[in-house]
Amino acid sequence: MTKRRLGKVLFVSMLLTLTIALSGCAGDKEDGGSSESAITIGIPQDLDSLDPNLATGAGTQEMLFNVYEGLYKPDSDGNLVPAVASDCVISEDGLVYTFTLREGVKFHNGNTVTVEDVVYSMNKCAGNGSGEPLISAFSIVEKVEAPDDKTVVLTLSEANKDFLSILAAGETCIVPADVADLETTPIGTGPYKIVSRSLQESVELEKFDEYWGEPAHIEKVTLKILADADAVLMNLQGGAVDLVARVTAATASELGDQFNIVEGNMNLVQALYLNNGVEPFNNEKVRQALCYAVDKQEIFDFVANGKGFAIGSSMYPSFGKYYMEELNDVYTTDLEKAKDLLAEAGYPDGLTFTIKVASNYQQHVDTATVLAEQFKKIGVTANIELIEWETWLNDVYSNRQYEATVVGMDASTLTAGALLKRFNSTAHNNFTNYNNPDYDAAYANALAAATDEEATGYYKECETILAETAANVYIQDLAEFVAINKKYAGYESYPLYVMDIAKLYIVEE
Amino acid sequence: MKYVGKKLGAMLVTLLLISFLVFLAFDIIPGDAAMAQLGTDVTPERLEALREEMGLNKPLIERYVIWLVAFLQGDFGVSYKYNMPVAEMISSKLPITVIMALISFAIMVIVSLPLGIYTAKHNGKRIDRCITVMNQVMMAVPHFFLGIVITYVFGLVLKLFVPGDYVSYEKDFGAFLSYIIFPCVAIAIPKIAMSVKLLKSSCVEEARKDYVRTAYSKGNNTSKVLYRHVLRNAMIPVVTLWGMTLADMLVGSIVIEQVFNVPGIGRILLTSISYRDYPVVQAIIVLIATVVIVTNFCVDMIYQLIDPRISVQES
Repeated sequence: MTKRRLGKVLFVSMLLTLTIALSGCAGDKEDGGSSESAITIGIPQDLDSLDPNLATGAGTQEMLFNVYEGLYKPDSDGNLVPAVASDCVISEDGLVYTFTLREGVKFHNGNTVTVEDVVYSMNKCAGNGSGEPLISAFSIVEKVEAPDDKTVVLTLSEANKDFLSILAAGETCIVPADVADLETTPIGTGPYKIVSRSLQESVELEKFDEYWGEPAHIEKVTLKILADADAVLMNLQGGAVDLVARVTAATASELGDQFNIVEGNMNLVQALYLNNGVEPFNNEKVRQALCYAVDKQEIFDFVANGKGFAIGSSMYPSFGKYYMEELNDVYTTDLEKAKDLLAEAGYPDGLTFTIKVASNYQQHVDTATVLAEQFKKIGVTANIELIEWETWLNDVYSNRQYEATVVGMDASTLTAGALLKRFNSTAHNNFTNYNNPDYDAAYANALAAATDEEATGYYKECETILAETAANVYIQDLAEFVAINKKYAGYESYPLYVMDIAKLYIVEE
Repeated sequence: MKYVGKKLGAMLVTLLLISFLVFLAFDIIPGDAAMAQLGTDVTPERLEALREEMGLNKPLIERYVIWLVAFLQGDFGVSYKYNMPVAEMISSKLPITVIMALISFAIMVIVSLPLGIYTAKHNGKRIDRCITVMNQVMMAVPHFFLGIVITYVFGLVLKLFVPGDYVSYEKDFGAFLSYIIFPCVAIAIPKIAMSVKLLKSSCVEEARKDYVRTAYSKGNNTSKVLYRHVLRNAMIPVVTLWGMTLADMLVGSIVIEQVFNVPGIGRILLTSISYRDYPVVQAIIVLIATVVIVTNFCVDMIYQLIDPRISVQES
């Protein structure tokens, strides 16, 4: 008897579950029709930290750009414009920076930004006097003072022409002095504030009404994490997501006509990076031979439907001032010359090497595949080894145990140094083991230069040396495809890795 | 009781072994949790300082023991990536995966029970042959592929749901269910096929036994014999299968989560592995292992309850 009753209870409860499940299924799918404007933006990975000083991922800085601001900030043309500060005076010797605080800048918690907050933020970046600076560029900051309630003075131990750019980077922004844990209570001065966050799922932003500058247009923003290219395509097509930056060329072509595709640059230096410290790439002739074997247009065709921006050195076109288009022609495809160079270098029968590529970056994998085919024509066999990103960081980037790799390098600040510093023979992140006294000298000259023109000249010399010695096989700045639902407009490309959500607006129908 | 004790002991040893193997695996594969946290632009000094702070420079065994002692005291540690207690991270995502597994399980039972009995009744007839063929196909198709097909057919073509438009269970439970039902169906289908096949063959086999003839001779009709006598015996292997399936579904949903963009335990596990976030991975793996082992243990126990003829010999 009891058994039978148990059976009945079980049966009824199962029926109930099914009914609930199915009724949920039949529920209609209205959006609620609220008047509040909203947008859902797909992002490829979760934000690694909501504390801007601790956030490292480029994708995190890209989004936190809307939440936090520095004393200065970059605009879409790559200029530095005053943000929390309204003005900056730099002393003749380049050692003293005097900032005037902008009046009436508010934090997301409603408090007004004071000089104490600025001093606190700067000290935080400098490591609060406790040994290692949090931001490595802050090692030259000697002291931070506030002589009155709207002035902050930064004194450096040595001049650095790029210092203002560093202050405009996302990781050196102004945060409130009285909030200890920004991870759980993220508070900045940007046009959007963070409302809530669900791990690996989404981050909710809301327009900050007391923003000092031009206010944002859209009230509510959801950043939704889309793990892979399939999810991106499905979410866009299904209407769950309105905007995704950096979709693949294939995805872009598959999207229907309810989307606009904005084309731009990824702002990356994509190259076949060669370990200059090992055989055979310690031989300049071998490196040059590879450069001569490459047909860039074929790579563009294969990777991004013919789109891409050729580069000839470690600098991409968005850096108008430093970019040298003429370096693209240092090596034009010439298979005979390539073979001759290989023979001169002592490899008349060709050679074999391995390209390690991080498997999560499809564009780099594709590029490596095309390169391997092109190298075959000069008798060079390139084996491709796909590795996980963390393995890449460890083996290739940190331990420099590799022969060649395809990857893209981005610039964290709007400075030439961000792309050129790593080729100094003593740079800690010189993962290509490039060692050239001429280069070191030119770079040192650029840093010591008195005027901007002079510095630019030396930076260009650096680029030319990299190209002429074929430090790496420089390929392209990849084309970027931003997919935006036609309901929205206002997307602006930056020369940095940021997305300016405040500029987006809804198109009136 | 001795048997239970023995089983429990074996369980603990297995868990210990699994947790150690995960630790070891992380030690072998390349990658550095400190670097994953700080990114590529970091200075070697700061990297070293963080490695020291995280205790990554200690020998493997020492790290394992430190982790184990804390774990046993209920301290699952803090995620390297999110700087958040692991327990909190898992508990916010666990309901998603558990609800998915339970719904899939319910679907499986509700569909396979009548279908199995029906095919057993019509054994050898055309309808039975049709179902058997379908069963074979469904068993052979992996659930993630079914997931893709379901997304395409119900999501993109029939527009019954918006693919990828997952709604959090905390925000709107109804909308959550109406989304989650589709991945659940994908998980359930291969399991339905399996249990229908097992239930049918088990029924058919039982029906050939002597007691069934006796039951008929007592004047019972087909239905009565089937439900009162045959089914009860035929259910034994099926219940065993279901027990194991429940554990399987919890694990299986990890894969399906990726197909349907559901941010459950599976998503946390995968991203934590790629970020070398050891504390999170350790906790999730031990959790999953515990579920699987405990379920198997329970199945063993239930097995005895259903059929008193089966008792575990104490040697």
